[in-house]
Amino acid sequence: MEIGLGEYLALASLLFGIGATGFLTRRNALIQLMSIEIMLNSVNVVLVAVNRFHPENHAGQIFSFFVIAVAAAEAAVGLAILIALYRLKKTIETDKADVLRH
Amino acid sequence: MSMWLVIAPLLLMLVSGLFIMLVDAFAKERAELALVTSVAIAVAGAISLGVLVQGGAPADMPEVLTRYLASDPFAHFFDVAICAGASLSVLLAGGYLREHGLERGEFYVLVLFSCFGAMILARAIDLLSLFVGLETMSLGVYAMIAFRRTSARAVEGAMKYFLLGSFAAAILLFGSALLYAGTGHTDFVGIGEMIASGDAENRLVLVGMLMVVVGLAFKVSAVPFHMWTPDAYEGAVTPATTFMSVSVKAAAFAVFVRVCMVALGDESVMTASGWPTAIAGLAVLTMVYGNVAAIVQKSIKRMLAYSSIAHAGYVMVGLVAAAEIGAPAISAVLFYLLAYTVSNALAFGSLVVMGSRGKEAVHYDDLRGVGRRHPMAALPFVIGVLSLMGFPPTAGFFGKYYVFNAAVQAGDVWLAIVGVLASAVGAYYYLRVIVVMFMQEPEEDQVLAVPMKSGYVATALAASGAAVMALGMMPGWFLDVAIEAARQLLG
Repeated sequence: MEIGLGEYLALASLLFGIGATGFLTRRNALIQLMSIEIMLNSVNVVLVAVNRFHPENHAGQIFSFFVIAVAAAEAAVGLAILIALYRLKKTIETDKADVLRH
Repeated sequence: MSMWLVIAPLLLMLVSGLFIMLVDAFAKERAELALVTSVAIAVAGAISLGVLVQGGAPADMPEVLTRYLASDPFAHFFDVAICAGASLSVLLAGGYLREHGLERGEFYVLVLFSCFGAMILARAIDLLSLFVGLETMSLGVYAMIAFRRTSARAVEGAMKYFLLGSFAAAILLFGSALLYAGTGHTDFVGIGEMIASGDAENRLVLVGMLMVVVGLAFKVSAVPFHMWTPDAYEGAVTPATTFMSVSVKAAAFAVFVRVCMVALGDESVMTASGWPTAIAGLAVLTMVYGNVAAIVQKSIKRMLAYSSIAHAGYVMVGLVAAAEIGAPAISAVLFYLLAYTVSNALAFGSLVVMGSRGKEAVHYDDLRGVGRRHPMAALPFVIGVLSLMGFPPTAGFFGKYYVFNAAVQAGDVWLAIVGVLASAVGAYYYLRVIVVMFMQEPEEDQVLAVPMKSGYVATALAASGAAVMALGMMPGWFLDVAIEAARQLLG
């Protein structure tokens, strides 16, 4: 069976859906961060797959490197914020962070 | 025109960011970092303004730059707005951080790098530079919100914005990837041409377009993607809130306009199922909800947060009109964002000046009678809220006038009517600030807000106040520049 763009897109959508569901249903900020990473990696799947069908330039592959690099930077800042939160509240459950609602 | 002049603002941000980081690490004495930073940003803005006014033939740029970054009047116009907002925020920070014992140099570094990202975003003509600029800008802002790291409010606001912001960035990115899948191009012009020629995979483009619009709507805090805004704005130190509400919003709108008009500007995606309808719906929700929610707030900072949500709605009205009439509506958007930048910086600056250490103005009640006790400190607040309200002859009046006028010209009369009604509702909470300051007396044993004294804050207030009045007194000059920028954007 020849694997075409459609199959890659289906895989990526599945990954993206898993990530989005995880982000929306879980309340642990670390798990939510991991869910976002899954979503970003689903984007990488699309980018690299599309590049195979549009090989004029390497836009997709280059793009995916940038996504990986930026995801790392994002995780660094995010984990720093989570550590600051944990020091103050001894938890990283997002529904326990509620001082701003009162 | 020299290439170096065109990219000087970007280089200036980077170099001064690195420089301040070094100075902060080695300086033993308290250095005037705020002064250096705000001057650097102001110079960058002035260079862009110079390039913008001088006009002339575009500079000869190497291909590696022109492929990802535009250097058109549109970008330079947004440079001016972004730099004005950032420079004013830094001046406010100079006074605020010292007064509240938070003076640490990294704040200025974060502003500089975030401002760099915002300027990249305003220049982005490729999905790649869009993403990198957006993240460079946002990462700085996340850290800036958590700057007061011993405060549960600050860290919580930062966490909410970080999680939702990254989620939105992932949605935007997936949308970008789908646009790339549908058209085979990552540059806006290429995407636009593929859609226009009918060679694009329409379903992919449509889904991709919706996801990109949702991602950008998060960044400009349009309802229903605004949940993070009040919390992040309230938790952050006020100068960081100022930066977020003006520079970040301006940059996000810059790329919003560019994506919509250049990449998705073809008629086939501007029909009933295209982005103008989606954005019109968002605009109505944003204007109505933003204004109504602002009324019930007790905290002034939260009120200003909801007010900035409402203003995003007015700007989107202009964007919807741009689908129909093009350049005049885009120039209205540009003018509005410039007017909003200086007005909002003035309002937040007035909030900063109203609080000395331990006696910060948080709720309306804290401001009771301030106008009579300290008229000079209350005056900027009056001008700021009047301009946000859209009272002539301030900047805000002409901003609203041009945007609603564009909507009427484009035939979206109902949208203009909703906008005018929503801003009439808005007048209630803006005027309430003035009423509380001048017509109410504090109760016994109430802790009173005492205005702080700082040369930095005074300078910021004077500069933004002057800009509000200048934009209100001679809007024509700025509008002409905006029209020229809008024309060249559409080519």
